[in-house]
Amino acid sequence: MFEKLYHFFSSLKLTVTLLIFSMALVFFGTLDQVNYGIFEVQQRYFKSIVVLWQYPPQWIFGNVLQYLHIPMLGGYTIGTLLLINLFVAHFKYYNSSFKKSGIMLIHLGLVLLIISGFLSGFLQIESQMWIKENSKANYSQSNHYNELVIIDKTKDEIDTVYAIPENHLKTNTLIKDSKLPFNVRVIHFYENADIAFRSQTPLANTQNIATQGAGLKMDIVAMPIPKSYKDEVPNAATAYIDIIDNEGDSIGVWLVSNLLDDQFPPQRFTHEDRQYEVALRFKRYYYPFWLKLNKFSFDRYPGTEIPKNFSSKIEIINPVKNEIRDTLIYMNNPLRYEGKTFYQASFGDNEKTSILQVMQNPSWQLPYWSVLIIGLGLLIQFLLSLTTFLKKHR
Amino acid sequence: MNKKNIISLLLLVTALSIIIAGLLPTKYTSGFDFQSFSTLPVQANGRLCPLDTVARNTLLLSSGKQTVRLSQGAKLDARSWLVEMAARPEFADSFPVFRIDNQEVLALLDKKLGEQKYFSFNDIQPVFETIHREMERINPESQLQTPYEKQLTKLNNALTAYHRLIHSFHPMTKNSSDLLDEYNTWEQITKNGFLEIQKQQNGHNFDPVIANKFMGFSERYLTLSKIASLGILPPRKTQTDDKWLNIGQILMDAVVDEHINPIAYNYANMSAAYAENNPSLFNATLNDMHTFFKPYTNSFKIKFEAFFNSYEPFYRSILIYTLAFLIAILSWIVWGKTFQKSAFLLTSLAFILHTCGLIARIYIQGRPPVTNLYSSAIFVGWGAVLLGLILERIFKNSIGSCVSGIIGATTLIIAHQLSLSGDTLEMMRAVLDSNFWLATHVVIITIGYSATFLAGMIAIIYIFRGVFTKNFTPNTAKTLSKMVYGILCFALLFSFVGTMLGGVWADQSWGRFWGWDPKENGALLIVLWIAVILHAKVGKYIKDTGLMLMAVGGNIITAWSWFGTNMLGVGLHNYGFMDAAFKALIIFILSQLLFIAIGAIPKKHWKSNI
Repeated sequence: MFEKLYHFFSSLKLTVTLLIFSMALVFFGTLDQVNYGIFEVQQRYFKSIVVLWQYPPQWIFGNVLQYLHIPMLGGYTIGTLLLINLFVAHFKYYNSSFKKSGIMLIHLGLVLLIISGFLSGFLQIESQMWIKENSKANYSQSNHYNELVIIDKTKDEIDTVYAIPENHLKTNTLIKDSKLPFNVRVIHFYENADIAFRSQTPLANTQNIATQGAGLKMDIVAMPIPKSYKDEVPNAATAYIDIIDNEGDSIGVWLVSNLLDDQFPPQRFTHEDRQYEVALRFKRYYYPFWLKLNKFSFDRYPGTEIPKNFSSKIEIINPVKNEIRDTLIYMNNPLRYEGKTFYQASFGDNEKTSILQVMQNPSWQLPYWSVLIIGLGLLIQFLLSLTTFLKKHR
Repeated sequence: MNKKNIISLLLLVTALSIIIAGLLPTKYTSGFDFQSFSTLPVQANGRLCPLDTVARNTLLLSSGKQTVRLSQGAKLDARSWLVEMAARPEFADSFPVFRIDNQEVLALLDKKLGEQKYFSFNDIQPVFETIHREMERINPESQLQTPYEKQLTKLNNALTAYHRLIHSFHPMTKNSSDLLDEYNTWEQITKNGFLEIQKQQNGHNFDPVIANKFMGFSERYLTLSKIASLGILPPRKTQTDDKWLNIGQILMDAVVDEHINPIAYNYANMSAAYAENNPSLFNATLNDMHTFFKPYTNSFKIKFEAFFNSYEPFYRSILIYTLAFLIAILSWIVWGKTFQKSAFLLTSLAFILHTCGLIARIYIQGRPPVTNLYSSAIFVGWGAVLLGLILERIFKNSIGSCVSGIIGATTLIIAHQLSLSGDTLEMMRAVLDSNFWLATHVVIITIGYSATFLAGMIAIIYIFRGVFTKNFTPNTAKTLSKMVYGILCFALLFSFVGTMLGGVWADQSWGRFWGWDPKENGALLIVLWIAVILHAKVGKYIKDTGLMLMAVGGNIITAWSWFGTNMLGVGLHNYGFMDAAFKALIIFILSQLLFIAIGAIPKKHWKSNI
């Protein structure tokens, strides 16, 4: 039994099969990126165990070919199997001669690369920081994940933020936790919704579910719409929440949505002499420092709209470390600070707002090591082959 | 001299005459020094270039050619055409420079497919309103456009470029003496006119005649400054940027300077001299202009670019590569040794020309060789030919020359198709603006493409000769097998390293080593495929024929990675889009599948016994 397993997992046949499977995964995943965007495909194809590809009904001959489904092993499965294959094969073929050192290094580096892929998948956090010119920010926000927040604003200098992650927000559930100041009953949760004036929607004849806040004041309602897969168009997570005090009485029902951002007045209420704010917003990552945008520049080639350079003149203000210094973030030149990296990603608001991409990945150095090791291995292997070839053809 | 030597010599002379023919300067019988005109420096699309480049690129954009065929049969080259645009714009408007192939666009002009291919500005003018209305309606995202909408957008872009170019030399007047009158009047009115406007704004008494005249001119030149696409005057000393001024801005600046900059007069006088058939004045004005520009530009570089444009090194390379390819094939049928030597010589000559073209582009652009899709095609060909030449030097069996010839010619033809959409020496987009990474990641991965195509091409020859010819020996087959295996190892090395470097660049630029975007996935597919081939060969799951079939498969995967991934419209790598290229890609893939199918025929049906 053990013999059979060892034979199976160390076999070259398995390697070739897995490589072909991974090619299929990559190819069909790429095709699906047209309709589902890069983020969704990453989740479905590369951060999964199995995946099913369907011929897109919108493509040519779609009405017939849409029944074509192809099941495939997902990225995690193939990655794990390849790792096992590489490990076990290493023991089977291990040979400490110099002649084989090139191949050994290559495969060792590959192991490292696959491991770094797994680690990145688990550990990487991607977010964006929007900073207006002459103002500062101490947090970044996700494009994909949302959180329901109840903020205790009673004290002037300190806000206490109670954040409930999106995956707890399911329609018709009650969220109870001793750490929360209130219980929250989620009446409705929509992954993506439009917000419109109630009188202009089919809900005009029904009563507004919201009894407090913007929903009531502006007489607006949420209309669920299909999830967006375009990478540039985020989903408007929206919910009706019922805030319930410790006695079980409802304080009110609010309409919350990540569409109701800082351009709208905050939804606040008072309860037992404490002031609270409630909102559904993109998940925030707070930092113990500030980045102040002094100037954003969009240089173009003279006489054209072709971008020559984007740059942000940033001032780092870190009260914990007592650090205040200027720095420049521009294309191909990120700021690496406090374990995160800040890239010039985009801009908005008529070039008055700079958008930085913030990447946090403790395993970011692994691919570099892997590349180095594989590069060395390839070089040794190539030189060995070259000298052998030249000797024969002297 | 025996027959073989004579033929070899003839082939050499043919190649040399192709090379030398381009060095002869164009003879203009009219006495006008169009060459001097074409080397005037201007700033277009963000870079300094000769008028020659502007002329050719605008024509390529609208007609797909660098010459204009007039209805009387006469042919204008790009330089002469641009002179007409500057000097006799109403006449230029009658030249058929806009090519339209789409049935529905032709229908707008009341024409049927096949009736007429080239149209003039005047021909299209009656439907400008319709085009304008359609452009408002059409979705700007090209992926979502119908073929008709794509072609109409293309026509609209060409019309816009034409319109902006024709207005780049001077404001439009009935004739040249009217133009000089206008300039004189404007100069006289600038001082007083500005004072009158100030009086009007301060609520004092002012002369309405002068004020209105001044405003009229100002508005005319303001509009002109927004349309004119060429910067014709170097930046003022007081400017903080390096933006050259266009004719509209120059005329508006007359208010500040109280006279119009002489360059405007130069262009006006030059145009007038041409219109009035005065070659000596035309040439003398040009001399003055060149003297003026000398301190502001690298006039050698400008002149060199104009020469490079007119020499067309890549076009000449295509001719010689094709000849080499044919001679290489001939060497397998008759006069083996002689034609092998000739083919090698021809390929080398074409390669030298190809290299010179590449170096010229690097010099002019000041960048590593691969900066856009066009230059990637030039370089893929160059890399493959270099490898093929090395193979030929080692094995001396015409295989190297044959594949070099066909790949060299094909990639340069593809490059030509890619050059029709604009300035191939264009400026780099901000995210690509890193000479280090352009020189390493991009070059290395492109060499990976070259090597994969080379292996695939040799495999096709193996299949062809084995199935269809009788003289494909087991020895030759074994040699080819070694070649393909060796080149695939080389291809894996470069593709893998190139992809890894791409990951490092992406980490430095976008914050993540690998994002699974289509271009990255495409590169990964190439690496995976070659890895599959090599592992399958080592494990003896495939033999020589299997190796060949899979190598041809490599052509499909590389073509997908190089072009297919750009067509999806997804991801951070999406900066080269094409329309009709999709059909070409499908045809290519089908052709490769055909070769694989032929190669899969059982050996007993092959004409050669290997």
